Amino acid sequence: MAEDTKPQAAPPPRPAGPPPPKNPGLVTATIDGREVVAKPGTSVIEAARSLGITIPYYCYHKRLSVAANCRMCLVEMSNAPMGKLMPACQMPLAEGVVVKTDTPRVKDQQRATLEFLLLNHPVDCAICDQAGECKLQDYYQTYDAQPSRLDIPKVKKAKRVWLGPLVTLDQERCILCTRCVRFMREVAKEPQLGVAERGTDSFIETFPGQPLDSKYAGNVVDICPVGALTSTDFRFRGRVWFMSSARSICTGCSRGCNTFLDYLSDTSYRYRPRENDAVNQEWMCDDGRLSYKPLNRDRVLSARVGRSQGEKAGEVVPRQAAVARAAQLLSEQARAGRLALLLSPSVSLEDALVTLAVAREGLSLVEAYLGGRPDGWQDQFLKRADENPNRRGLELAAQGMGLTLRPFADLLEAVGAGEVRALWAVGTELPSEGEAVRLAGLTVVAQATNDGPLARAAEVLLPASPHAESDGTFVNFEGRAQRFEMAYFPRGDSRPHWSLAGELGRALGVSQLHASAREAFAALGPRLGAALGDFRWDSLPSVGKRPGLVPLAAGTVDGRLPGYRERVPSEGSEDQRRALARLPQGGRP
Amino acid sequence: MSKAVIAALLERFPDAVTDAYEGVGGDDCAFVAKERIVEVCRHLREVERFDLAPYITAVDYLGMEPRFEVVYNLVSIPRSARVRLRVKVPEGDGCSVPSVTGVWRGADWFERYCYDMYGIRFSGHPDLRRLFMYDEFVGHPLRKDYPLRGRQPLVPERQVDENLRGPGPATRD
Amino acid sequence: MTAPAHSPPAPSAQENDAPLPVKRMVVNLGPSHPAMHGVTRAVVELEGETIRAMKLDIGFLHRGFEKSCETVTWGQCFPYTDRLNYVSSIMNNVGFALAVEKLCRLEVPERARYLRVVTSELHRICDHLTLVGAMAMELGAGTVFFFAIEGRDLIWDRLTELCGARLTSNYARIGGVSRDLPEGWADKTLRTLDRVAELCEEIHGLLTRNRIFLDRTRGTGRVPRQDAIELGFTGPCLRASGEAYDVRKAFPYLVYDRLDFDIPVGANGDNFDRYLMRMEEMRQSDRIVRQCFQQMQPGEIIVQDFRYALPPKPLVYGTIEGVMAHFKLVMEGIKVPAGEAYSYTEAANGELGFYLVSDGGGRPYKLGLRAPGWPMLAALPFMTKDALLADLIPTFDSINMIGGEVEQ
Repeated sequence: MAEDTKPQAAPPPRPAGPPPPKNPGLVTATIDGREVVAKPGTSVIEAARSLGITIPYYCYHKRLSVAANCRMCLVEMSNAPMGKLMPACQMPLAEGVVVKTDTPRVKDQQRATLEFLLLNHPVDCAICDQAGECKLQDYYQTYDAQPSRLDIPKVKKAKRVWLGPLVTLDQERCILCTRCVRFMREVAKEPQLGVAERGTDSFIETFPGQPLDSKYAGNVVDICPVGALTSTDFRFRGRVWFMSSARSICTGCSRGCNTFLDYLSDTSYRYRPRENDAVNQEWMCDDGRLSYKPLNRDRVLSARVGRSQGEKAGEVVPRQAAVARAAQLLSEQARAGRLALLLSPSVSLEDALVTLAVAREGLSLVEAYLGGRPDGWQDQFLKRADENPNRRGLELAAQGMGLTLRPFADLLEAVGAGEVRALWAVGTELPSEGEAVRLAGLTVVAQATNDGPLARAAEVLLPASPHAESDGTFVNFEGRAQRFEMAYFPRGDSRPHWSLAGELGRALGVSQLHASAREAFAALGPRLGAALGDFRWDSLPSVGKRPGLVPLAAGTVDGRLPGYRERVPSEGSEDQRRALARLPQGGRP
Repeated sequence: MSKAVIAALLERFPDAVTDAYEGVGGDDCAFVAKERIVEVCRHLREVERFDLAPYITAVDYLGMEPRFEVVYNLVSIPRSARVRLRVKVPEGDGCSVPSVTGVWRGADWFERYCYDMYGIRFSGHPDLRRLFMYDEFVGHPLRKDYPLRGRQPLVPERQVDENLRGPGPATRD
Repeated sequence: MTAPAHSPPAPSAQENDAPLPVKRMVVNLGPSHPAMHGVTRAVVELEGETIRAMKLDIGFLHRGFEKSCETVTWGQCFPYTDRLNYVSSIMNNVGFALAVEKLCRLEVPERARYLRVVTSELHRICDHLTLVGAMAMELGAGTVFFFAIEGRDLIWDRLTELCGARLTSNYARIGGVSRDLPEGWADKTLRTLDRVAELCEEIHGLLTRNRIFLDRTRGTGRVPRQDAIELGFTGPCLRASGEAYDVRKAFPYLVYDRLDFDIPVGANGDNFDRYLMRMEEMRQSDRIVRQCFQQMQPGEIIVQDFRYALPPKPLVYGTIEGVMAHFKLVMEGIKVPAGEAYSYTEAANGELGFYLVSDGGGRPYKLGLRAPGWPMLAALPFMTKDALLADLIPTFDSINMIGGEVEQ
């Protein structure tokens, strides 16, 4: 046959392998007609986000493992088996895949998923804290907007389950995304939550006899997309629609977790963690979460002269009068060589710089003592033992200004030896209650934000503002300088420490009165040299530029409140006018 | 009908009229270079019969460059056509547009309003002063960086010319 | 009688003809002045009784409408629009709603469109009655004012039954209207319109061939057609000058293309023509309302979409979807797609235009208003140049300057 005489045929060609990737080492695909290039292993959701395309999701969280149980992120992908819609959170981007997120089929799926999720969801918006930052509300308006087709009663479950000291669960509102379960297991490393029962009867539960008492339990309130897990502390206290958020730093320990401070008028309502990969990712510990309470409670809002004797407090005077008296006291004690400066590491960098400058130039002091809260617990995750936010900042400030910082024990020694008879306490946090007694015999000029034993023992008490009422910087334990911004103008007659030190300095004859924290840093910051690295004071974007556009609680579309009020307190604004109107009679700004 | 007008404009002023598009609801719009707006408007009035004085307003796109935009909404009664012209205006020294009061007298107050509210000057305007706000007003209220409840400095009482009180007994001649 | 001791010398022939030397006098009219509608200040330079120059000083009623609307949600803008042309507020509401619906590409249900037309025309009659009454009163005919006010009050009674308020109606919503007609309202309104027609006949009888009225208004405040167009006049003032331009016929909106009505056009462009224009337009509005009642069918009064319209209360209290939609719409506002649009209607005074810019959020980014009365007010110096001071009054009346819309 003719074929037998043919020369040896070449072996049949191998089936063609996949074509080489368009960008070697990376994955290239098409989402909604636009090309995206990503690292191998990137999920479709993240790749779409990098293009600015939002795919809705409930159970996905970029810092948790993938569960893919909410089915909200289903999209059309060209490599799907049997043409099914695939969950974008779970599917990694494949080379050359074509993803479509806005076809009628995908939209119908999103609508249907929402309808299912809402079938058993209680009609709770009017009493649910999550209203205003609820993913169900947001996605319903965008992806569903259909009336209900349900004509039978909804499944009823427990409504107010105490899970732990900070967390309350409403089982009916839960959509069983299991973000809380995964968070406790993977991030907090204490698997205290789990899903009980199955099917339509499932609910989230703690193990019998083991409450949700992890120190990071408060984070499940943030990551819960609906109002199932709510903070017992924040429950029913306010509507997030009316609150503004200031970008702040937690003052619970020296890590300085980045936060949002939610406030309304001049009351702070809560901390929410702000994202910062280097410091706290997106989490906070519970102690830090609750550390906003001293901003409202037991505040010292007017100056007093004369120490408190039992029930009788010192006499309330205008701040100017108190400053004059304090300057008089401080200068005579300093001349006699009996004055000590006690700095609390809870004050900001600007506060410390101005105080030390006034101490050196006005009072000729060469050293300062460190007060501060006593050490607390420490763990492997976020919390540091040092419960003061700015110890490193004070160290750098003292170094820059040429004063020596001494530990608190040295102060007690000096007091015991009789060398120190008077104290200028900038911040009245002390390592323990008992110490206040030891210091009670001294003549104290105290600048305090909150009432306390040292404040009551002060001969002159000047009202100070905490970090929420001024711009400033904290330096955390790693030496990282972090800015926080003012939430509202100082309450009552109180002023930030840098302002009080400036007034004292002016009374002492040194000109240190700066008009703002920015000016204080601009004047004295250069003395720190290169200690803060590439830190820039204006590193909070849009500070002082466009008034009113401050990021609000998650879910608000354009960052502005209904009824738009000035949000970044600025000179000449309504907020400042109201703050000035709150001054006690006879007080001047 | 309006599309034909835009097409004719594009042809006649290729470097002045750009980016024609059809907006929402069938509005026919185009962008016009700031320096040539008077020319384009005169052409529209005289040749294309857009006789009625247009509605002129301005928008502050704070954050975009150029910041302001002056918008002219023209209507032609005989042809039942409507056209929108948008003129981009930067802030600072270049914040001015040639005035079209030479083409339509009725554009006068609209331009004064844009000046009062946004601070956009109109060169060649016969009487460019504030319209709604009092003369001593500081700032331009409809700009995005002017607060809703802004405070103004107190101004001393204006000296009123005796003339305005009319001749009375004291000055009767 | 003996001649007085110091009698003046007999005048010579030339002296009798020499005009007395005059000085130009600057007189301030307003802002607090009964004839200056609302608060407007006119500084008038007089030579004898003749106006040689006039400068208008406005801004006394400027309330920051545009800025306020930028800070509230789309639905919350309606009360602000009410207070623009406050004598015909429904037309402002409808104009604004049409502009937003244009941006959202919303289709309004049929019955809602008819309702909008009916209420708009009723308010147009109110506006014209106010003008005719005020004009007559300021020329001395106080009785006409009372007839006009009676007619206006009867219409307001009907509108109170429908909207809840006489003046600031807040009737339109984005996607439709807020309430449907009460029982028997259509018949009551027809009887009201009959009574209003009777009153208009009375007014006609008192004014249209009245010697004094004719002398004061005929030939005064004349605006030639070309000037009217160039100055930007629209509405009855433009039509009185001879240009047949009515937005309802030129660019029909709502259901005006199905209705049969005429556009009166004047010949002279003077105050008398503008007065006649209003009287005739009231007759046409009456026709329109009657036809609407015949053509209207039962149906939805607002678009059935929870992204734009508040859900009905049983759904808000009973279903999670309803309460969520309610919360989002009230707190965050309707999400209007980003873009810009200009929408125009024929208000009582002329072309009312809304230029909207949206940034995709729940609040307007820019809300520009083309007040119909503005070009007429700006042209007042032109209209009264070299006219007598007494002619300023009917001219000012006939252009129907409403402070609310002119000064936003």
